[in-house]
Amino acid sequence: MTDPILEMRNISKRFDTTQALDDVSLALYPGEIHALLGENGAGKSTLIKIMTGVHPPDRGEMLLDGKPLTLNSPVEAQAYGIAAIYQEPMVFPDLNVAENIFITHRTRSPFVNWGKMYRDAEEILSQLDVKLDVHESARGLTLAAQQTVEIAKAISLKVRVLIMDEPTASLSAHEVRQLFKLANTLKQQGVAILFISHRMEEVFEIADRVTVFRDGKRISSKPRAEVTPEGAIRDMVGRQIDELYGEHATHARSDVLMSVRGLGKQNTFDNITFDVHRGEVLGFAGLVGSRRTDVGLALFGVEPADVGEITFEGKPVQITSPQQALQTGIAYVSEDRRALGLVMPMSITANISLPMLREYLSALGIINFAAETRTAQQFRERLAIRTPTVQVPVAKLSGGNQQKVMLSKWLNARPQLLILDEPTRGIDVGAKAEVHHMIRDLAAQGLGIILISSEMPEVLGMSDRVLVMREGRQMGIFNRAEATQEKVLAAAMGQGYSE
Amino acid sequence: MTNTLRRYLRPQQIRELSLLLLIIVVLIFFSTQIENYLSPRFFNRIASDVAIIAVVAVGETLVVLTRNVDLSVGSIVGVTAYFMGTYLGNNKDLNPALAVGMAIGLGAALGVINGALVAYGRVPAIITTLGTLAIYRAALVELSGAKTVVIDAMPKWVQDLPSQTFVSFGGLDVRPLMLTALIVVVLFQLVLSFTQFGRRLYAIGSNPEGARFAGLPTERVVFAAFVLCGALSGLGGFMFLARFGNITVVAAQGMELQVIAAVVVGGVNIFGGTGTMFGALLGAILINILQQSLIRMPQISQFWINALLGVLILAAVATDALILSRLRQLWARTSVQMTEGQAKRIASGK
Repeated sequence: MTDPILEMRNISKRFDTTQALDDVSLALYPGEIHALLGENGAGKSTLIKIMTGVHPPDRGEMLLDGKPLTLNSPVEAQAYGIAAIYQEPMVFPDLNVAENIFITHRTRSPFVNWGKMYRDAEEILSQLDVKLDVHESARGLTLAAQQTVEIAKAISLKVRVLIMDEPTASLSAHEVRQLFKLANTLKQQGVAILFISHRMEEVFEIADRVTVFRDGKRISSKPRAEVTPEGAIRDMVGRQIDELYGEHATHARSDVLMSVRGLGKQNTFDNITFDVHRGEVLGFAGLVGSRRTDVGLALFGVEPADVGEITFEGKPVQITSPQQALQTGIAYVSEDRRALGLVMPMSITANISLPMLREYLSALGIINFAAETRTAQQFRERLAIRTPTVQVPVAKLSGGNQQKVMLSKWLNARPQLLILDEPTRGIDVGAKAEVHHMIRDLAAQGLGIILISSEMPEVLGMSDRVLVMREGRQMGIFNRAEATQEKVLAAAMGQGYSE
Repeated sequence: MTNTLRRYLRPQQIRELSLLLLIIVVLIFFSTQIENYLSPRFFNRIASDVAIIAVVAVGETLVVLTRNVDLSVGSIVGVTAYFMGTYLGNNKDLNPALAVGMAIGLGAALGVINGALVAYGRVPAIITTLGTLAIYRAALVELSGAKTVVIDAMPKWVQDLPSQTFVSFGGLDVRPLMLTALIVVVLFQLVLSFTQFGRRLYAIGSNPEGARFAGLPTERVVFAAFVLCGALSGLGGFMFLARFGNITVVAAQGMELQVIAAVVVGGVNIFGGTGTMFGALLGAILINILQQSLIRMPQISQFWINALLGVLILAAVATDALILSRLRQLWARTSVQMTEGQAKRIASGK
């Protein structure tokens, strides 16, 4: 067997409280396509960032051609021939193809040798066996063509290790074929390719070796012939949930709160159909790019759907703006506290009352500060928001407390249906437990809850039923009893699962 | 001790207090340089000038708070001053209240155009108002035939308005223009602090996406800010007419520079979200004192006075970026410490 080009040995990396990578080893051989599988948060992205010099590892070493390698920046990684392409190509739309290919090249001359640049670009593209006009500006190119440009860019840098991070997620079937052809061409030229995808069938089609990560650890690494889809999925999940979430008592009532039929939005999601009962927690599971958040945004009227029917409390409704959603009784707690949720310089009080300010106006439209403060105090006690006073700007609170302010704000709107989008992302374990407790309380009070979460244990542990999405399509709804990690993940990856 | 100080003084108020201090320092400085400087006559003159800028600056503040800007205020002032002058010249018995109302209405109408383009047309404010700045002025030149409004053609009440004195404190007169400005500043400060509209302005300016998520009618609020800014510029136009009487087609040209300078120097964040009307007023006062005082120093040329205005704007923005953000951090840190301290106290059961 030949020697590996790039070897990662016993790499560990920690971010604050999360151990993103724990003693992980991986070897990339020339002329081999190595697939990396793992759930959201398994550590794939962190590994890529270490390989491309974005982050240094805490422990462990990298070897290039058997010699120790230290990377301080992505530019250095490129100089060693390590390059990455991503789902969204990073091209400059107003530059032409040749300029994009050579954007990172530096020459000693201050002048551009246009003739040479075009000739070299054409040579690289012919080497890849693709036809692309090097004079065309990148703006007009399809996503697939833009990715080709990215690959050409990598080749111009004499790439030896090419990392492809979900390159197929936005491509059509035909474009995927073209990309695979390119990958195989590179493979024959002796490039080592690390291929990351959530599409199981693609992995099994193209990969020579399959490695599975889970919770920052390497679980398995085998030649493709020795791996089955079922086995890979088992490796990806394989953990106990019940101990964390305890006994699940359902609060779901028999009456339907909202029913959604055939909801769709062009190029985003299609034919989403489900019911939410009062007191029910309906989980939305799926991998990155499954478009769960887009469904949430459509239900809240931020990016309204194009087609489909929504019935709320038995009445058909059209939701075209957040104002309307609020009036209907739907609230949405967004994942992005900073940009979408809270007005950071404003006080806790002002943030909580913001959507419902109308209710705090006395005669002449003057804000009734006493009433406003009273509300804030109530929520401070109810949700245990830790702060000296409710007049403190929310920017000064910790993530968990900000999350509580955000929940207060929407609970104050007295919604019937609460959409929670990644409610525990980026908050510590204690605060997380509190949020989970709160979700149960709210369900017990009869609220319908849609819980969008990328954490499989959370979505399975909290939900009465789980709706699984994959690339904008609804793959199925599972009852609590049938929703095992294996089944949900198999559906999320578009893979039938048999026991 | 420092903690109590920190609790009662917010960074914004420190900014305004230091502006007040700066005004006093400037006054003391010039009084040593210019003979007979601190005279009542001088202050009356500044008060009249500041009054116009301050009224327009209040309107501009409403717009800037929403993370927009209105460059067309100078043109709106010029247009209303000219048209009200012409109209009053032909209709001398027009009811004064109606005349003022017409000026405000005309300004508001021009503000509607700005607001509609920015809020609903989604044209960036700086482009929209740069366009209307030129268009309003050009329309004025075209429709007026480049004639001049003269003070003698005005009804008597307009001629008398600027010098009318309600009360006088040792030569310092309280005059209608000044009083109008004070009322406008106080009224709109109350609007900012105590109404839904004010709260929404701040929310939209500091987090536009978040405001939309909170279900706020962002378009309507931005539109309203521009309309009010136009209306206040219209009022400013009427005050301009009363103060100067002789109005040419270049009246109030370049006033937007003074107004935006007043707003920014007064501590209103050009990126929206923070600032007060009192700050804008103080900014207007400081700029005016500097201008009026420097005119009286023969060794300084008129061109340098304009340059000074530019320097002031840059200095104001720089202090905002450097000093205020640090102050805010300091504030944030102390209050988090307070929070943790309290949490410990609660935990230990005290």
